[in-house]
Amino acid sequence: MLYRVIDASELPSLVSAFMETYEVVAPVKRDRSYVFEAVESFDDIELGYDTTVSSPKKYFLPPTETLFPFDARDNEVAAFAAEITPRVIFGAHACDINALNRLDLVFRDGRYPDPYYVARRKATLIVGVSCTPDATCFCNLWGADEARFGYDLFLQDLGDKYLVSISSVEAANILEAACNPRVATDEDRIEFRHATRRRQDAFNGEIPDIQDVAMLMDAFHKDPYWEELGGRCLACTACSAVCPTCFCFDIQDTLDPDGKTGRRERTWDSCTSPQFAQVAGGHNFRADGRNRVRHRMYHKLNGFLANHDRMLCVGCGRCVTACKANINPIEVLRFFERKGADDAE
Amino acid sequence: MSGYCIACQEKPATPRVVVVGLASCFGCQLQITNVEAHLLDVLGQIDLRYWQLASSDPMPEEFDVAVIEGAVTTEEAEATVRQLRERAGVVITIGACATTAGIPGMAAAGFLERPAQVYDHVPAACGEMIAPRPVQAVIDVDFEVRTCPVDSLDFVDVLQRALYGSNKAVPTRTMCGDCKRNETSCFFGKQQLCLGLVTRAGCGARCVNLGRPCNGCRGLSPDANLPSAREACERYGVSVADFDKALEMFNQVNPALQTSE
Repeated sequence: MLYRVIDASELPSLVSAFMETYEVVAPVKRDRSYVFEAVESFDDIELGYDTTVSSPKKYFLPPTETLFPFDARDNEVAAFAAEITPRVIFGAHACDINALNRLDLVFRDGRYPDPYYVARRKATLIVGVSCTPDATCFCNLWGADEARFGYDLFLQDLGDKYLVSISSVEAANILEAACNPRVATDEDRIEFRHATRRRQDAFNGEIPDIQDVAMLMDAFHKDPYWEELGGRCLACTACSAVCPTCFCFDIQDTLDPDGKTGRRERTWDSCTSPQFAQVAGGHNFRADGRNRVRHRMYHKLNGFLANHDRMLCVGCGRCVTACKANINPIEVLRFFERKGADDAE
Repeated sequence: MSGYCIACQEKPATPRVVVVGLASCFGCQLQITNVEAHLLDVLGQIDLRYWQLASSDPMPEEFDVAVIEGAVTTEEAEATVRQLRERAGVVITIGACATTAGIPGMAAAGFLERPAQVYDHVPAACGEMIAPRPVQAVIDVDFEVRTCPVDSLDFVDVLQRALYGSNKAVPTRTMCGDCKRNETSCFFGKQQLCLGLVTRAGCGARCVNLGRPCNGCRGLSPDANLPSAREACERYGVSVADFDKALEMFNQVNPALQTSE
């Protein structure tokens, strides 16, 4: 990994340089929250944002995308081209970069790569930025508080300057042309160490650190707790809409009003949606909140770990805010913390 | 929802459609005409045999698709929908009044006493009144177009589902996920009531997109979790009494609302 240092005052010219070739999406203020959206100027960007309502996932797996248009009269596919916009995601936090790395495992690195996802991933540069955790962040528990790969540049905020980790030639060339990157000094390195320590110390100590949660979930699969947790599910699917790693989708055909042509569309689905596990004939494999919520938590904190050696949850905390029924992985950790305390008695 | 598909019939012919209005403002029927840019395309796919709003020709004996707007509020209307069910292969209800009893349903409590309070002699035009109910409380309904009023293109989409079949599931999830997809701020964070917590999704949360909380016009989801939603109201500082009151606008005759209290 190559490290360089730039002054904070150089960031606007870096963003301007990206804008010459790319659409730049970045965190901006919207009402009481932040969202990633396309920006026209560096001044619109709120790099000090805490979190965004939804994650940059939407730029790789759009909430609804057309896979292909078709002609219903002769039952033929009319075209295949997907719309790909060369893009820079500017200001992604480490959790979201780690989330993207997990989506890569599913859509890019598997036996059947998803051409739509892969095309967008290839056409997108990721510029990460360091952050300070807030009360709902628990990325540290899953080792997702640092982005080790999966980005082009990562900006570590050191006050009036940034330590820049450079991991792609394309981004390095733009950085070189737009700024005056200099070699890091011992002083820079010491400040970087302090900044990292400050971040590590800022995590909410109230969130239980249960590293063996996956194993415990297997052991307590039939515990009445899952009814208590899942029984209050509102079936709204907010959790998976804000989740940076939820990737389940549905595929639907939508006809144009003339009934002659149409589009095959892929749209976000969710395992907390009541119809998600309903099959032909009407049987629903997960017909209630208990089964749906338990399934979701197992995928996040257990199943993906078994298949890919890392949690599917990155601890971004978005679902903690989004779920109005207070269902989230922290609650699962708290349950196992209580279990541990009960057993110790 | 039945799997009846006009195009799958042994002898596919242009489907004969009737549009019938019951107790309602006729706004949903108007929304069909508001699909202006595509109206001829839509009419080209059907054989429109009867539409009170557009023509005074009487209802034919035979047809394939019955589109029903409005709530059932009289014995005559009840007989009408039963007859429509007998004659039509597919019944589509449109709008909040037909799918939830909607605005007429708001008057359900004490409904039968009201005419005598208003009139000295109840006019014959009132018909033999019965407590307002949605169409599916009287007959089986194959397809629904929800919201007040219906979205024009949503109507076309559902009509096409009936005509050609569809691989789209009919979701019963509630609305909040749509707001997250739209990345709009949640009203509960401002201690403001919103019925999206329990209301059936499908409109894309368009009122919230316009800065207004959901008023529940799509009706309670069959998967609505009222006890949990009331707890959420308490947790976010929203009055539970207001929540229950607001639900009555479009769900007064919904049995789920009555038994949960």
